[in-house]
Amino acid sequence: MASASTDAAKVIKVTTSDGIDITVDRQVAERSILIKNLLEDLGGESTDEPIPIPNVNEAVMKKVLEWCEHHKADPPASQDDDSDSRKKSTDIEEWDQKFMQVDQEMLFEIILAANYLDIKALLDVGCKTVANMIKGKSPDEIRKTFNIQNDFTPEEEDQIRRENEWAEDR
Amino acid sequence: MASRSNFKRALPAMPTSTLAALRNTQIVDSKAVLPAELIATILDYLPIPDMIRFAQTSKRMQEMVYDDTRWIQRLKSMGCWNDVEARQRFEEAMRRKIEAQRAREAEEARRTGIGLNGSINGLAGGGETERKTSVTLFDASLEEEMQRKSVDRKGRPRATTLDKGFDDMTLSSPDGTTRSSRPYVVDPKVALKTLAGARSIRGMARQEYGKIYGALAPYYFDLARSQSHTDPILFRTYRDPEQQAQMLNQLKIFAKSDWAQGWNQREERLDTMIGIFENAVLREFEQGFEVKEYDGRMKRYIHVLVSLNGGAAGIDHFVHNHPLMLEKEKLGNPSECLRNVAQGHVNLQPSHDFFKELAITLNDEAAIIDRVFPPTVDVLLPFLERIAEDVISDYITSLFDEAHDMGIEAYLKAVAGIFEQALQLAVSLTPSKGSKANFQEEAMRIITRCFEQHIDLYLQEELDFFKGKSVAEVEAWEKRLSEEEQSTETYYMSNVNRQAAKRDFLTSFKKVVMMPVNVLPTIGGASKPVPSPTAIPTTMNGNSLDPTSRSGTPIPGERATTPRPEAPTSELAAKAAIMNSRLEGIRSLFSIEVALNLVHTAKASLERAARFVRLGGQSGEEAKEQCESIFINLLQILGNQHIKPGFDRAVNHLSVYRPREVADHSDQGVAPLVAFLELVNVGDLIQQMVEVFYHQELLAANLTDRDNFLSPADKEKKRFEQMLDERVAAGLNKGIDVLMDEVEYICGTTQHPTDFNPIAAPNGMPQVFDIGPSQTATKIVEMVSSHTSMLMGSTDKNVLDVFNQEVGLRLFTALCKHLKRQRVSVDGAIKLISDVNAYTAYVTSLRNKSLTEYFAALRELSQIYLIDPNHAKEIATIIADSDRYHGIFRAEEVYEFAERRADWYQIKSAVEKQMYGVGCLVM
Repeated sequence: MASASTDAAKVIKVTTSDGIDITVDRQVAERSILIKNLLEDLGGESTDEPIPIPNVNEAVMKKVLEWCEHHKADPPASQDDDSDSRKKSTDIEEWDQKFMQVDQEMLFEIILAANYLDIKALLDVGCKTVANMIKGKSPDEIRKTFNIQNDFTPEEEDQIRRENEWAEDR
Repeated sequence: MASRSNFKRALPAMPTSTLAALRNTQIVDSKAVLPAELIATILDYLPIPDMIRFAQTSKRMQEMVYDDTRWIQRLKSMGCWNDVEARQRFEEAMRRKIEAQRAREAEEARRTGIGLNGSINGLAGGGETERKTSVTLFDASLEEEMQRKSVDRKGRPRATTLDKGFDDMTLSSPDGTTRSSRPYVVDPKVALKTLAGARSIRGMARQEYGKIYGALAPYYFDLARSQSHTDPILFRTYRDPEQQAQMLNQLKIFAKSDWAQGWNQREERLDTMIGIFENAVLREFEQGFEVKEYDGRMKRYIHVLVSLNGGAAGIDHFVHNHPLMLEKEKLGNPSECLRNVAQGHVNLQPSHDFFKELAITLNDEAAIIDRVFPPTVDVLLPFLERIAEDVISDYITSLFDEAHDMGIEAYLKAVAGIFEQALQLAVSLTPSKGSKANFQEEAMRIITRCFEQHIDLYLQEELDFFKGKSVAEVEAWEKRLSEEEQSTETYYMSNVNRQAAKRDFLTSFKKVVMMPVNVLPTIGGASKPVPSPTAIPTTMNGNSLDPTSRSGTPIPGERATTPRPEAPTSELAAKAAIMNSRLEGIRSLFSIEVALNLVHTAKASLERAARFVRLGGQSGEEAKEQCESIFINLLQILGNQHIKPGFDRAVNHLSVYRPREVADHSDQGVAPLVAFLELVNVGDLIQQMVEVFYHQELLAANLTDRDNFLSPADKEKKRFEQMLDERVAAGLNKGIDVLMDEVEYICGTTQHPTDFNPIAAPNGMPQVFDIGPSQTATKIVEMVSSHTSMLMGSTDKNVLDVFNQEVGLRLFTALCKHLKRQRVSVDGAIKLISDVNAYTAYVTSLRNKSLTEYFAALRELSQIYLIDPNHAKEIATIIADSDRYHGIFRAEEVYEFAERRADWYQIKSAVEKQMYGVGCLVM
């Protein structure tokens, strides 16, 4: 920490898609692997120049940075990929649950931003939240929630259901 | 400097360009629709039923859900997917498809009638029979193909094939599914085997997983929900504990494919349930164990446990609560081995009984294990491991500790003896049915591991013990020597055939070296009464622990109470005694007895240590090294502390020897030289002993590598030999000096002037002497030859040759010198010639060509004395004829000899005239 405060305890600026500059601690911003790699490529100089984030608007960016701020002390994500330590879903922690209580559009935006900025933990939380939304819903409800166009005939739909009878809840 | 500034200038340019590029990108902003990869990620977090419902929303979603890899992944997580099998099936399908296609082409060709006789006659030529088979093939493969297609492109609503595909699967469980609203139910009996029946077919992973899920998920989720162990349907559906165990085992595997939220709670729940079940079964097993119902409850419930989770708990219980662990004291008390024994000995009988008892018990247990446990689990090995850890380790540790307290020698004997017995135990164990093929090795490893902790200490002690004992031996000898120094030094070895005696001695030595160490009686003359306990041999040559198979050894202890006279107890001891009496003279320098004792101690130590080489691995290597260092120590102590001082002392004796100062010359030899030469003999004997020892103990036992000239043992041996050679050479050098001194002394003291210049008898005729060499010559020849023959066969042949040549040459010089001091008359010449003949005869016996020539020349020379003074001319001719002397004498030298003629002054002018005068005339 001490060393970080001496040579890298700077703030950086990011420019969102709607042209707003946001100032943020470098440590917080580096939760995003994208920004982290970018800063490393820049060689630590000229950090006073704002970094353009053309995919994310101000509102979403602020939300994402809020999450980053809260999680800045987390250990960095392990890079061992999804080999055999399968992504067995763990429960969402309470703060994250509250954090994700946003409207659906915002939720998707956050997921997209997390995906773009390469923040794996945030992406996971987002996906889990979506999964929880799907849980227990009928196909119709799912379509409504996610704005999916039904392109099945009723027979086809029934066919799928019968094919997978084994998976039905009892 | 310049480059640095360049670098600085270059740097800012880069980021701006990067950022500018980013800034310039135009983003086509759209409504938040999640891309496919994110949906796929979300799907991973969904429980199966939700996933299926998700598939019903649209074709795209269905495609995503049905994606084969998603299901293969789940199958893999349960270990139900086999890539090899999948590929085989796929290739099979492809082959059939290709065949079908060909058949179809052929059919089409036939139908259209084009090229029937021409282009594709190869196929069509098959005729009617061919066609028939291909038709059937066609049908089968068509179906297969359709099935595959349906899977490949799930998005397409191909109701019939899709249905068919699944139907096929469910048909295997006969009354499983009927297409009705009735909930999907799988026959409990089929469900028992679902996991084992899973197949790996590409494109069918979802169906396969569906089968498993359909069979197991109801029980799984029910179990996860239930509160008490009586609730779950599983226990109500299956009544048999065997089936319950099997189901639980399947559920445990199935849980691995459940990674939706809450999986850890469900798995925990499952684990608790399994735990409860396991405990109940285990209790039954324990009760059966207590009353020894081997074929009843024990057998039944251990099978249940094995099918539940490999039966580890049951095996554990069996191993840990075995009565053997609790009753280990009954097997034997380690301290019994040390009771009532003499200092430095252990009684290995009780430990032998202990291991025998243990072997019997273990083999009984193996039989029981065969009865109780299924052959799929290996119980005997963990059991043995436990026994080794608890029973054997305890036993040997306390025994070794006690022995160590009692004395190092007892400790060493105990470690080696017990190790041997333990190995016997390992060999005598019989494997059970469940044991793997390498049971014997494993058993050996387990047993030997008990000893590992003792080995380091043991090897160290062994080496120290050996060193200490050897040094003590040498020192004791030296002390005794200094006490009786100068008492009676009879430096002469009785006139025996040395080579034969040595060979004889070495053969028996070799024999003894090859015998096991324990059979060896104590060598060194006194056969002290051995306490009877040690008479029990510690080696067990028999393959089993049967006490009757012990090697029958003569037990000297039997008659120990009647102290026998110094009768040697074995052949070697007898030989050693004889050798000793023969070599008595040089005991004051070094003793073969001490050497024998050292070698014997080394052998005992080596044999004990060598057993541990079998341990292999690091300990084995250490044991090997220690064996080598024992050998090295043997050589160092024997060489540097025993032999070297002896040789040095002998050389010293030689160098201070002054023949003229010695009053008594009655003996035939030069005393110190004789002593030294005998010493060379003994040194050679010891060296041969070491050589035999090296071959028998180190090479034959594979303790050191014969070809590895870098091995420390080999190096040390070479150094030892070199040391011996150097001493011998140094001694011989001195010896020659001494010998020549003696020769000169004899010449000076015994040669009478009248020998070669007899006083004429009153009647003018020379006195009649017996024709033969003079007393001096006889003496010299005797003396010299007795010394040279002593070396025969004891040193290196080259050394011997050099020695002989040197002796011959020096003798020659000494004789020439001697001759020049004499005055020789014509009458005395006969005597002189006989003398020279005697010398020559001796020298010829040395078989040295150049020496023989020297003496031949001397013989020629001696003839100038025989010529009558009247023939002075002839004398001159002989003097000048250098060919006669093979170039060994020059004319001037011969002239000098001629001057020694008694009548020289009378013939001098005539001779000179002949030599020079004639010469002048010619000139």
